[in-house]
Amino acid sequence: MHDITVVDLSRWQFALTALYHFLFVPLTLGLSFMLAAMETVYVTTGKQIYKDIVQFWGKLFLINFALGVATGLTMEFEFGTNWSFYSSFVGDIFGAPLAIEGLMAFFLEATFIGMMAFGWERMRRGQHLAVTYMVAFGSNLSALWILIANSFMQTPQGAHFNPVTMRMELGSLSQLIFSHDAQAKFVHTSIAGYVTGAIFVAGISAWYMLRNRHMELAKRSFRMAVLFGVLSTAGVITLGDALGFVGGQAQPTKLAAMEGLWKSEAAPMPFNLVAFPSQQDQVNHGQLQVPYALSLLVTHSLDGTVPGVDQLEQQAAARIRNGIPAVEALQTLSSKPGDADALAQFHAHEKDLGYGFLVQRYAQDVSKATDAQIGTAARDTIPQVAPIFWSFRAMVAMGLAMLAYFVLAVIFSLRNRIERQRWFLKLAVWMIPVPFLACETGWLVAELGRQPWTVYELLPTWMSASTHSVGYMIFSLVGFVGLYTVFIIAEMYLMVRAIRQGPQPHDDDAGWDGDPVLGNSASGGRLAGQAEG
Amino acid sequence: MKTFLLFVLFMLIALIVIVLAVILGDSGAWYFAWLVGTGMIVLITAAGGAMLDTQEEQAALLKADAQAGARHG
Amino acid sequence: MEIYGVFQVIWWLLLGVLLSGLAVMVGMDMGVGTILRYVGRTDLERRVALNIIGPHWEGNQVWFVLGGGAVFAAFPLIYATAFSGFYVVMLLLLWSMILRPLGFEYRSKLPSAAWRSTWDWALFVSGLVPMVVFGAAFGNLFEGVPFHFSWNITSTYTGSFLALLNPFAILCGLLSASLSVFMGSVTVMNGAEGAIYERGRTLARASSVLAMVLFAVGGFWVRGMQGYVLSSGPGAGVPQTPLQQVVTLTDGAWFANFHAHGALWLLPLLAFAGMLLGLWAAAARRSHLAWWSGALAWIGVIGTAGVALFPFLLPSSSVPSQSLTVWNSSSSQLTLTWMVGFAVVFVPLILWYTSWAFYVMRGKVKAEHVAADEHSY
Repeated sequence: MHDITVVDLSRWQFALTALYHFLFVPLTLGLSFMLAAMETVYVTTGKQIYKDIVQFWGKLFLINFALGVATGLTMEFEFGTNWSFYSSFVGDIFGAPLAIEGLMAFFLEATFIGMMAFGWERMRRGQHLAVTYMVAFGSNLSALWILIANSFMQTPQGAHFNPVTMRMELGSLSQLIFSHDAQAKFVHTSIAGYVTGAIFVAGISAWYMLRNRHMELAKRSFRMAVLFGVLSTAGVITLGDALGFVGGQAQPTKLAAMEGLWKSEAAPMPFNLVAFPSQQDQVNHGQLQVPYALSLLVTHSLDGTVPGVDQLEQQAAARIRNGIPAVEALQTLSSKPGDADALAQFHAHEKDLGYGFLVQRYAQDVSKATDAQIGTAARDTIPQVAPIFWSFRAMVAMGLAMLAYFVLAVIFSLRNRIERQRWFLKLAVWMIPVPFLACETGWLVAELGRQPWTVYELLPTWMSASTHSVGYMIFSLVGFVGLYTVFIIAEMYLMVRAIRQGPQPHDDDAGWDGDPVLGNSASGGRLAGQAEG
Repeated sequence: MKTFLLFVLFMLIALIVIVLAVILGDSGAWYFAWLVGTGMIVLITAAGGAMLDTQEEQAALLKADAQAGARHG
Repeated sequence: MEIYGVFQVIWWLLLGVLLSGLAVMVGMDMGVGTILRYVGRTDLERRVALNIIGPHWEGNQVWFVLGGGAVFAAFPLIYATAFSGFYVVMLLLLWSMILRPLGFEYRSKLPSAAWRSTWDWALFVSGLVPMVVFGAAFGNLFEGVPFHFSWNITSTYTGSFLALLNPFAILCGLLSASLSVFMGSVTVMNGAEGAIYERGRTLARASSVLAMVLFAVGGFWVRGMQGYVLSSGPGAGVPQTPLQQVVTLTDGAWFANFHAHGALWLLPLLAFAGMLLGLWAAAARRSHLAWWSGALAWIGVIGTAGVALFPFLLPSSSVPSQSLTVWNSSSSQLTLTWMVGFAVVFVPLILWYTSWAFYVMRGKVKAEHVAADEHSY
């Protein structure tokens, strides 16, 4: 039997390691394509400054990438070590995208990243450019397969439960890959990475411009970053809306939590701009509403409605009652495989099997589940509203702020007057943490909103964890917190140091176009290098 | 002859790309959008960088002209 | 045999391919990490050794990631049961492994000697510990692991952490570590010159002899062990859970497959031949030949272990009848079929571009180049 403390500790461990991993992933996703764009200019124009630009940002990219890879290993292990029942229950479906990710994407990215860093003198320009593109596509394809796997947890499709093997099995790989949730989520996440990369590059370039250092590198980087960023931010917002539209239909409990929707209402529904939701009383305190907006946002029409918590809980209770016979039938089938009556009973109640599991947390023998236990389990189907509600609003607010920032940045940069707008350059530096926070809050909305399920409506979180002791879980949690703290300190230190140091001078001055300004920046770098030595 | 063979080769590649794009666009509209969108973002970014070079050169020319004009005037 | 059974066997073979790829490619990098402090006496020498695998370790490491992913996809019950059962050992493996990317990437970024020395130790730990754990995990398979399943196939591990580090497991761990040191040494010979080369050569000779001894001792040890025999069950190619079979224990049963099919003796023979040839080639300064011999030795060792265990993948010592086999722990036919398809397309592609990467970066790593180049580790 599962110890709920172990399940909670497993959740904390997963959330912390995933959020930590997700600090490095978006930058990799975005910066890789920015490097590709920068190197494209280098190869087409042949100007040395663009090689300097690629190599400088490439160095920061690698510092970030190392930690992304390291913490990604943790994620690969963690399903097996901490979520063993989950892994065996859906491994037939969930394992496939992870393995394909290795075959198709991670190999590409990791093999070519070594070439990207070490191969400058070993390859022709065009070859090196191709390698950089491979890294960019590889890292984004990695994200694609991981998000396909994730969207199976959100809106499972292309799979069915097999009572003979007691697990979920793949029904259609193409349904899995082309699920609307997977599509929207991949593009949303990948492009959120682009935004992160853009703000990172723009912010550091602004920092140089404020100090009048490496101006040629900074102005060019800033220009490219803001163009990259403004297009990407528009994309993120579009896809965020698409994801809400798709997810709203597939995961009504998540939507209700995002919007703080306790009571079902008639169309057109108002949007809660501000509210302080109380899970206990199922009401919002101090809410500030925008009329009509919710119907418009989530159903794209004025007469659309979405169910509130009250209605969802009632539906859940009914589905739990319907799911109980399915669990009973499975218990029979476990010892007597092929028992015809049990099989018939299972198939009659199959679609609510997960809801039957939900009440088993409170009633080990589901046939004896009381109304009170069913009520508690039904209440469990509503995730924690307040953190989801606020994470969602924080993410959207940051997204809109970044759009405004980029539009202004593009105007300044296209007029080639950015270095005079010092207030804006200062703002750009302060913008650096924003996309990282937005990505983290996005993860929180998606994964907190999925609770109490690991696989939506199929497998409750409480039974997904491994059967470890509390001591083991504390041991591993402490270990991770300790190691990861050391890592982030080392990473931030090296990152800040590399930024302060700036681009390195080059001995191979072939292709040097003799621009006096470039000469200045190079000798500045050389001096900095000597100071280090 | 070589030109013709290259023409045939590129036409074939274009055909394959179009067929694949139609298939992908049918079942994976957002994936297709990502592919096209990323390509577009990268190209516009690259073009923006190249444009800055032109702007700088023009600014330098203008400056040089102004200086030259001042000297002659 | 049902077509499903064929796919199960294909995936068992592919698992062998992936584990061999992991052992050879990741093992060689880890070997370099293990011997780093020995082959490199000065900072520059160590940097030369690191830069030999510098362009490749990241790609090589994917064999490890892919190994995990492939087990997850093809044998989910093994992934779930083994990873959670070996919890503390897995964490040691993981924590030592995640030091590696940082060790490579961060070590030479600062000039401080203390900083670099710390990362050298980290690279030593992250080279040695994972290879010992990798071998020890195999050792435990022969002895069985105490776990059982509930009615809905929730696995519970009932042993202690220390039970996984028993004498036979440690022997297997040392075998795996010595093969990894051999591969690391010849890799260093491939890419270095002078004193580093000579130290690598010394280690290569020592480690190949050690590996031969350990492999032979391990063979005799297994002969005296109780092996598992699948007496009855639904069999190959039939969807099933691990609750439906009967498994008995018999002395020397791990040799049954070899007795039944004499040709299988070629696998342990290959292992010995590889180690012996590796020893000779290292002594004769033919390091590339030694590398390939070491790779063959790995394939021989992993093949021997896999064939001895077949069809078992993870025997249960507490409830032998709930042991995991190729037949009761694999994915469904559809998943296996798709995954074979992806492997058939992508594994050759991976081999192709990996070879290209090695080709582009071929040749010796020069000390003065490492010192001058800002891209180097």
